[in-house]
Amino acid sequence: MTEALGFFFISWVDPHLLLLTAFGTFAGIYIGAIPGLSVTMAVSILISFTFKWEVNSALALISGIYLGGVYGGSRSAILLNIPGAPSAIATGLDGYPLAKRGEAGTAIGLTTVVSVVAGFIGILTLALAAPAVASLALKFAPRDYLMLAIWGILLVGSLSGGSLAKGIFAGALGVLIGSVGLDPMTAESRFTFGNLQLTAGISYVAAMIGFFGVAEVLCQLHELKLKAIKQDVSKILPSWSLLRKYLPLTARTSAIGVVVGALPGAGGDIASLMAYDHAKRTVKNPSRPFGEGAYEGLVAPESANNAAVGGAYIPMLTLGIPGDAVTAVIIGALYIHGLKPGPMLMLETPHLFWFIVGSLTLANIFLLVFGLSGVRLFAKIVETPKAILLPLILVLSAVGAYAINNNPVDVYWMLAFGVLGYFLKMYGFQVGPVILGMILGPLMDKSYRQAMISAEGNPVQFAGEFFTSPLSLVILTALVLTIASQTIWWKRLRGRA
Amino acid sequence: MPPTRQRLPGELSFLVVLLLASLFLLWTAYGISKFDSLTSAGAFPMFATAVMVICAVLILRDAARAAPSEAQAGESLAGHFIRRLTPPVVVGFTVAIALYMWLLQPLGFLLSSYLFLVASMALLGSRRWGLNLLVSAGALAAIHAIFQTVFSVVLPSGTVLKSLISGGGA
Repeated sequence: MTEALGFFFISWVDPHLLLLTAFGTFAGIYIGAIPGLSVTMAVSILISFTFKWEVNSALALISGIYLGGVYGGSRSAILLNIPGAPSAIATGLDGYPLAKRGEAGTAIGLTTVVSVVAGFIGILTLALAAPAVASLALKFAPRDYLMLAIWGILLVGSLSGGSLAKGIFAGALGVLIGSVGLDPMTAESRFTFGNLQLTAGISYVAAMIGFFGVAEVLCQLHELKLKAIKQDVSKILPSWSLLRKYLPLTARTSAIGVVVGALPGAGGDIASLMAYDHAKRTVKNPSRPFGEGAYEGLVAPESANNAAVGGAYIPMLTLGIPGDAVTAVIIGALYIHGLKPGPMLMLETPHLFWFIVGSLTLANIFLLVFGLSGVRLFAKIVETPKAILLPLILVLSAVGAYAINNNPVDVYWMLAFGVLGYFLKMYGFQVGPVILGMILGPLMDKSYRQAMISAEGNPVQFAGEFFTSPLSLVILTALVLTIASQTIWWKRLRGRA
Repeated sequence: MPPTRQRLPGELSFLVVLLLASLFLLWTAYGISKFDSLTSAGAFPMFATAVMVICAVLILRDAARAAPSEAQAGESLAGHFIRRLTPPVVVGFTVAIALYMWLLQPLGFLLSSYLFLVASMALLGSRRWGLNLLVSAGALAAIHAIFQTVFSVVLPSGTVLKSLISGGGA
């Protein structure tokens, strides 16, 4: 226990790590506050710069950016009615009407405090649940990993409200991109077309920056003329009575955030929408009708998306399966630093786990400080002209893609994936599952082949083994239910109920 | 059930390209180790590409059923496509990025990035030239200092400039 506490406080006592966590949180809020700049984009670009660093420094910075970015998204949702991040989509529904009533300051202050409270709930759950899940994960057979990975990709497609077929297509595309190069088991070439460059595979950092950086920049070009409305942000600190009133709702929606965030492939954006829906259904007498500036409509999604951060770390650290797109990118960072997320990481390097928990806690404290003190500055930030901002992001993206291998080919890949990502986004595809597929593809491939080898290459025996253990049965049931919930019969059944 | 999403111009063509690409990739995956064994190097890629083909067919079917988005009065299909998907600013900026990437090696990071920043800021509508020049120079100085020193990133120094310097020195 004392040892764990020692690791927990590393980033608190080391001035370098303390500074990096603070900078990460500040930068995260800044990036999250600017519409169109996503946390995933920021983490993708930054990872390429930190790969020469010591792992603790990289993780401290990433923890701050992740927490800060998820919170920062609420700023532009409240001030502009444009969510700075997908997890802030529901925030604007009541946040913007509140700003129009001249209550932007109170809305931002309340959002900050409930986000921090929810962040602590998520981190506490991570600290308590992850060791137990890691012990359970040791019992997982390759088939279970295969099903979990498939389930993760399916969840992204089905829960985010888009077309399931498009979600699965994007996931399979990611799996395909991840399999380019030499097969790790037999060294056979896959999708290399005789090109020597392709035998080393496609840099997933270049692909991530392309899909989340360049594609996003191109999409933002459609909204160049959007201007911020000046808001009154003079009164920031919410009253104690207001906070006390919304604490029970914060606790309930934080629980939703942690659970949904911990589902492989889900994440803060889905959690916040579910929390908003929960608030709408359960709060009988909201401060104002929902959609017209109800504080409940602001508290619920903001609690859920910040609590989901701690939740998303659970499958990432214990199973090596990302909880959302950002944790998929963080898994990529861990691989670059020679670490392999999964149950063995938790058992062999517990110091790393407690270090992450400590850094997240520290980042959450910085969130409160920066959140309540820099409201005027951030209100200005959302007004930065895109004509200046977007070219700068592009230069950073190019540097990021180039820095990984000092190879200009990676920069070309970045542009190619950026253009592909742009058209995919414009035609209603999500790019999150592509990254999930790229990260999970090698794990799925290996797990499938191990499971098939253990079934002696017999497909009937392979299928039968899914019913042999209670754990496999539970995951299989979840998988089948996810698919069934998307069918027209299920929807008709629910409509009748 | 009525369609909930409108079909954008060019969507059907894009989806047909995705379907054809998926079929080609399925064929390529089949070529890795054919039906040698269920644990071969090509087995999982075949599964992934088969999923892509099936999904592409379903997406194409749904898009074909969806109502097309309405063009403005007197607008051709090409005009509608350009307005919604490839407005001049998007095409121009993409070309600028491609040029920037092409010039990155020969001109080096600083010069190519400076040219790109100034040109693209103007392209995106920032007409305050003094500000553009100043912001570009300041941002590049910061990026170069931070990434070269803090992040230890080796940025391209420029082959053309190098050969000019070495040629001048000879």
